[in-house]
Parts: sequence; structure tokens; C-alpha cells
Amino acid sequence: MSGRIKTLSDMLKKGEISSAELTRRYISRIEKINPLLNAYVLKTFDEAIRGAEYADALIKQGKAGALTGIPFALKDNICTDGIETTCCSHMLEGFKPYYDATVWQKLKSVGAVLLGKTNMDEFAMGSSSETSYYGAPKNPVNLSKVTGGSSGGSAAAVKADIAAYSLGSDTGGSVRQPASFCGAVGFKPTYGAVSRYGLIAYASSLDQIGPLADSVEDAAIIYDAIRGQDRRDSTSCPTADGVTKLDGDVKGLKIGVPEEFFSEGVDEEVKKSIEAAICLYERAGAKIKKVKFPAMKVALSVYYILCCAEASSNLGRYDGIRYGFRAKDYGDIDEMIVKTRTLGFGKEVKRRIMLGTYVLSSGYYDAYYKKACLLRERITAEFDEIFKDCDVLLTPVAPTTAFDIGGRSASSVQAYLADVCTVPVNIARLPAISLPCAVTKEGLPVGLQIIGRRFDDGRVLSSAYFFEREACVKVPLCKEVQL
Amino acid sequence: MAITEKELKTLAKLSRLEFSEEELAGFKSGFEEMIEFCDGINSEIGGDTSSIREVGSMQTEWKDLREDVVEESLPNEKILSNVHGERGYFAVKRVVK
Repeated sequence: MSGRIKTLSDMLKKGEISSAELTRRYISRIEKINPLLNAYVLKTFDEAIRGAEYADALIKQGKAGALTGIPFALKDNICTDGIETTCCSHMLEGFKPYYDATVWQKLKSVGAVLLGKTNMDEFAMGSSSETSYYGAPKNPVNLSKVTGGSSGGSAAAVKADIAAYSLGSDTGGSVRQPASFCGAVGFKPTYGAVSRYGLIAYASSLDQIGPLADSVEDAAIIYDAIRGQDRRDSTSCPTADGVTKLDGDVKGLKIGVPEEFFSEGVDEEVKKSIEAAICLYERAGAKIKKVKFPAMKVALSVYYILCCAEASSNLGRYDGIRYGFRAKDYGDIDEMIVKTRTLGFGKEVKRRIMLGTYVLSSGYYDAYYKKACLLRERITAEFDEIFKDCDVLLTPVAPTTAFDIGGRSASSVQAYLADVCTVPVNIARLPAISLPCAVTKEGLPVGLQIIGRRFDDGRVLSSAYFFEREACVKVPLCKEVQL
Repeated sequence: MAITEKELKTLAKLSRLEFSEEELAGFKSGFEEMIEFCDGINSEIGGDTSSIREVGSMQTEWKDLREDVVEESLPNEKILSNVHGERGYFAVKRVVK
């Protein structure tokens, strides 16, 4: 059976529906469902209608590609020329970028239809999307639960089908973890596989744009459309030619299971679901091997040191002079900058800037930042060693399923622990996918994470495709969202 | 690890942020908890760090750098349409008196 994107694309190409009509249907769904979910923070329906007209012209000329005419959403930290992009922060309220991010430019050129910008943690700092200036989005599987984060709005929109697919960004799990919490598929490509030009920087050595989708097949289609080297991002690299092949053949596939990902803090139900998924691979002829990843115990600390250090530097640019918000009452320019930043940033952003400033400050730089850099190399080396004898690794995406909205303080070590299974991937710049592998007794989805070698993104997607096809996990939406 | 109020104030100054006394007091314990958490790395590596390479050095293959090509800049009016601008410049309060 075809996935959502291929089904819609076939309908468009056969002339069963026009892109304009499809777009109107999505707009009407958004009007009904978004007030329940708060997944979109900006609706761009004029842009969508313009895009749909362009797409219909392409289809008529026989020039339609896989994503032509299909309505989608962008996370609110991806720049769109002339369309407000706020990172869900008061600091960038009203900011209209003057150029397009490369990913948006690529999608626009093939006739993708932009429905709007999605909710997220402020400046992508968080794991529940609750730090958003516009309030937390709600999980379409259970409205009392968080969507995960930071790409929470993107995951919720895709799951509720108020966007056929979306793009998010993943610095420490921000695509994979919300996908896991909402029962969607989230793919974080290898660092460098997708251009970051136009992605508002949080932690540049860790940030990566990736798709959130209804199926693995959809994720592969989107990945193929956005990947490749970009002269405007010097960290981007050439990727493999051609279309990503999803044969789903896992016979002889060497799968590593790092036991540290299943240790303390991982819910029993999550653990059992992942173990059952591993058995499915084994029955299909994959070779399972337990592996050790001792650096896991420091990965989260290393991650928070590096990302806060980079954030404190990256967010130094918000001075009230060149972007968005500027405080009103001030004496001189220094006071203006301090007041602008104090009023413009939320609590969690300030906390991370302070922590980043601390680990970079004279006297602590050697003790924290430099050591974190060394440990980053150790973590990378440990993964490289494991991948000498394994093709992919299977792990949980998060230690728990989606938790209650307001149930955890966003600014606590306990909240940071939600990222423990995802951050090692960003530190080592690896590709990884999250896909639903079970539904708990409470009706919440559990995500399976598949991690691959750098630039072996195709194998990650193909291995995930196998599971999706064989396990056929269905995650039902809550009844309020079923329309 | 304990952090003094004075240190927090210095950090705030470096970060170009301002906190009221009350905010600072509320901020302190969470900040200490976070530092303690980050201290986990010190159990792995102690002592001299002079041989550690910076993270940037392992990120980029410098041989892949492209040629510099001069292109047209973004138009001033477009950039200034977002912010407080005057006569083609970013506008701030007078700095030189």
C-alpha cells in the first residue's frame, strides 16, 4: 500500500483532484482542528493558494515531481522570505526574513504548497514545546499530553493530517522525540546531508533539518527532495545519487543493540516494545548483537555543555538593532541591548545562555567546554568502532511516552533526561529515524530509533521501512481530532 | 557546585541579561543543579586539557572549500523593512555625544 504522499501525488497526476482543491481541503481541516492543537503559529493560506496554482500548472505541463502540489508545513525556525519567522520567541515577533532557507527554496521550486509555520520550543530549546511564546501545542493522540519537542507543532500537524508532511530541526532529538510522542515518523539525516542555510541557529555543530512524515516512505521522498550540498552552507556535503531505495530487506543485516540505552530510567513498557521490535528483525534473518557504548554516561552532559556554549554565542546577535523586538524605555544603547534581551527571551533561553556563558568563561572554559570537545571525539570514536561490525543500531527514542502538559518543569535536569537516547546521535553527527513500534495500554505511541553510519541514511530508511511494513503499527488519534 | 550571587551577576552581565534579586534567587538552585550535572564529565577526564583540539577542527574538510564569488548584496530597503532604520542605516540612539 502506498503512503500518504504517493497516494496524493497519484491523485494529482491522474487529475482526480487539483492542488488548489486539495489545499482548500487542508485549509478547512486546519480551521477545524488547529484550535484544538495549537500546532500552527502562523497560517500562510495566501502563499498556499499561490503555490497550489503554480503546482497545478506544473502538473498540466507534465512536470510534476513527487511533492508537487502537496500541502506541508515548516517549523517556525526555517526562514521564509517575506513570511514571519519567529522561533516562537517574543524576540523575533514580527520578523520577516529577507531570504528563503535552502530547503524551502528547493520545495517551492518543485511546487510544494506551504500551509504555515509550526509551533516549537522557543529557539528550539526544550523537549516538550512548552517553552513556546505562543503556548504549548497539544498531542493529537491525547490532548492532555505534550507533543514532545522541540518540533512539537510539526509532529502534531502531520499526525493529525493538517499537513501532509512537515520539516523540523533536530539538535538533540527535536525531530525524533516529538515524532515518537505523537506517533509519526521523524528522520534526522546525517549532519551535512541537508543544507542548514536559513535555519535560525541554535547550536550550529549539532543542528540538522529533517522531515516529519506519516510513513517511512514519505520521509524518504522528502529527504530525497531536500538533501545535497549547498554552496551557502560550508558544512553541507554531497549525498548519494538517485532515489533512496527502500527494499526493506533485512536478511543478514547486522544490528547492534547498545545496552546502555535500555538502562535506568527507561519505562518497562518502552523497553518491552523495543525488545519485541528487535525480535521481529531477528525472525526476518537479521543478526542481532549486544554492543557496549560506555560513553553514554557522559553524552547528555557533553551535549548540554556544547549546545549551551554554541547557543550563548549564536544568540548574541539578538541585540534589538537588526532583528525583531526592541525594548522601549532605555537610556543609552547598552541599556537598550540588555533590556531588549531581558524582555525578549524566555526563561529557558536565558538559562541556556547563562550556562553557555559560564562554560565558555575564563576559568571554566578548560574544565567544561574543552573537555566536552574531547569527549565528543570519544563518543564519535566509540560509535565508529561499533559500526565496524554493525550496520544499524536499534534503541528507544525516549525513555518514556508523552507526559502530561505542565507535568514536568521545562527547566530541570529531569526534563533534560528526556533527550538521553537521542543526543548521542547529534554529537556523533549520525543519521537516525524514529518510527512508531507499539501503543501502550494508555493508548500512547512508543518510538523505535534506528541509528546508522554517517552518510548511510539510505540503510536507516530501508531498515525502518521493513519494520513499518511488517509490524503495521496503527496509532489512533483522539476522538476530538478524528474528522 | 555552589555558585555565588556575585558570580551569577557577572554571568548575567556577560550575557547582556538582567535579573531582579528575586529572579536571581529563584534561578540559583536550578543553575547549580545543571552545573552539577555537567560536572559529570569531570569524572571521565581530569587534569591537563592542552592537547584537546577544538570542535571546529574536526568538522570541516578544508579541501572542499569553494571559490569566493562576488555576488550582489541583499537590498538595504528589504533588510531595513524589518527594523528601526533611517536613511539606509540601522538606527539607534546617539552613541557619540
